[in-house]
Amino acid sequence: MPDPTAESPDERLDELVELVVELASGHLGARRAPSAAGDRIDAVTVGLNMLAEELQALNEDLEQRVVERTHQVEQAHRQLQRLALYDPLTGLANRTLLADRIDQAMAGLDRGVEPPAVLLLDLDGFKVVNDSFGHVVGDRLLVEVARRLQEVVRDTDTVARLGGDEFAVVAAATTATRAIEIAGRIQDALKRPIQAGAHQCWVGTSIGIRMAEPGQTAETLLRDADTAMYVAKGQGRGGVRFFEPAMHATALVRVRVAEELRTAISDDQLEMHYQPIVELDGERITGVEALVRWRHPVRGLLGPEQFIDVAEDTGLVVPLGGWVFETAIAQLARWRADVLGRTAFGMHVNVSPLELRSPSFAEDVLGRLVRSGAVATDLVVEITETQLMGEDPQTARTLDTLRTAGVGVAIDDFGSGYSSIGYIRRLFVDTIKVDRSLVADVDTDAQQHRVAAAILTLVEAFGLTAVAEGVETAAQAAHLRALGCRYGQGYLWGRPVPADVMTGLLSTAVQEPAPRS
Amino acid sequence: MGGDAESELDLTFRRDERGIVWITWPRGIHITGPMAEEAMDRLDAYTGGRKLPTVVEMVGVAGLTRDARQVFTGECTASRMALLGGSPVERVIANFALAASRYETPMRFFATEDAAVDWLTRAGPDR
Repeated sequence: MPDPTAESPDERLDELVELVVELASGHLGARRAPSAAGDRIDAVTVGLNMLAEELQALNEDLEQRVVERTHQVEQAHRQLQRLALYDPLTGLANRTLLADRIDQAMAGLDRGVEPPAVLLLDLDGFKVVNDSFGHVVGDRLLVEVARRLQEVVRDTDTVARLGGDEFAVVAAATTATRAIEIAGRIQDALKRPIQAGAHQCWVGTSIGIRMAEPGQTAETLLRDADTAMYVAKGQGRGGVRFFEPAMHATALVRVRVAEELRTAISDDQLEMHYQPIVELDGERITGVEALVRWRHPVRGLLGPEQFIDVAEDTGLVVPLGGWVFETAIAQLARWRADVLGRTAFGMHVNVSPLELRSPSFAEDVLGRLVRSGAVATDLVVEITETQLMGEDPQTARTLDTLRTAGVGVAIDDFGSGYSSIGYIRRLFVDTIKVDRSLVADVDTDAQQHRVAAAILTLVEAFGLTAVAEGVETAAQAAHLRALGCRYGQGYLWGRPVPADVMTGLLSTAVQEPAPRS
Repeated sequence: MGGDAESELDLTFRRDERGIVWITWPRGIHITGPMAEEAMDRLDAYTGGRKLPTVVEMVGVAGLTRDARQVFTGECTASRMALLGGSPVERVIANFALAASRYETPMRFFATEDAAVDWLTRAGPDR
């Protein structure tokens, strides 16, 4: 029976049109109730309702997935950004982010803000730790260094790790005075020993500072700070230097020298000269010091002070040292066979700390001795006192291996550093070469005389042998002899000369006193 | 809206002399997900797990939610299921139910009892 209160079919169709309009405009929750008739219009109504329900559910599902995906993408983006801008080991900014921060700080200059300062530092002694204890310990050390660096800077400053043991700090809007303060705080922070795993390590740092000037790029600032750091390192560990324009020219020269030195080694531009070491009592030649010279095609004959630094910084000291030992040992074998007979003799060869820290160095030297037929007890390695650093276990092992084989060990330039003789003794040393500064006025200055006397007495008391360096006058020689010094070296008895000249000297002078110059 | 979602769903179950199970939904009901689940559970209990030909009388059913449709796609203890409805509304609803094509159980909509019974008792596989 039709219900008189029910809507007419036209009215219900109007309602359906409204429903479709609402759904089309995005109101997916719209619905219409069917009538009790259950007819075709009701069927359409029910069908529309069910379709709308489906659409609504799918839409919500889709929106939910979009939200999740967006979240995932954002997370991945943040991770990528982190990888791209931060050092994975220490969490510090990396080079890219550092450059960006420098650029931001430089942008402030236009607004009258103070310039940033870029500090570049690397760790003195890090390589020793890494080589001695392994990379795991080395990494822990770097993490701790990073932590300490972050503690000493302001929130507005950026600490970055540039790789290896190199770090940088950008101090935003600062002055030179504050930059020096920051450098000071950094050095203080790194003075305390660092616990890296089971090992307690000491590292220092050399710091280069560049105060920014308008118009400079991040790359320039970092390069200049690096140059300044290089200079700071060269002047002794733990130094701080501001960049000066002249440093840049020096840096370029160093690069050129390094390239030329590489060629020099392979192109036979190196020569070995020998300076006699004499016994003060009787003035017989009892040994020589081998000194490398570089016959540069343009600059002429160069002494080691003009290229040894560069060699050490570039690793060329390894092939250079190889050439030095090969040449000196071969020459030693020839002299022993041709002119020395059974006379006591010492071939003194300088060695760098880098070589001593190489695990294979001792074996290399002993191998060369064997191949050349030279006698180990005829060889003495010389290490400069100021170059010894820390109680490095590999150095001690190297020296021990050499001494066990009969090779002698001498400390060069003794008195120019701060070590104690007891410490030197622990390093398995036989000979102390007393620095020329202690010899210079031994005959004219009473104070110097007393100092020289004290040192020579100590050397004697520890059972070591003393060689006085830089002896130029007979008076100096006489005083030193009277003080009990056994050996001397210096212009009084001859400058360094090539092998053939030395051969002549040895042939005649081994049995007779050395001729005075 | 008619029907109620309480545990006492007014569903009736009977078995005729041909062995066909008849399920009757109350008039005016909007079948929800929980109702659908209850219906399936009660069918299982009624047949004791045996698969029997089944008629679902849906005359007067006013609606079927998305969730309920989802429930009906699962396996049930019916060898075949005939949906029986008379009005255009019931036809629309039934076809929404049939649209999800992963049914384990063959299912069809019929407008008359004879057609439904005929299909159920015919031998051979059919959908």
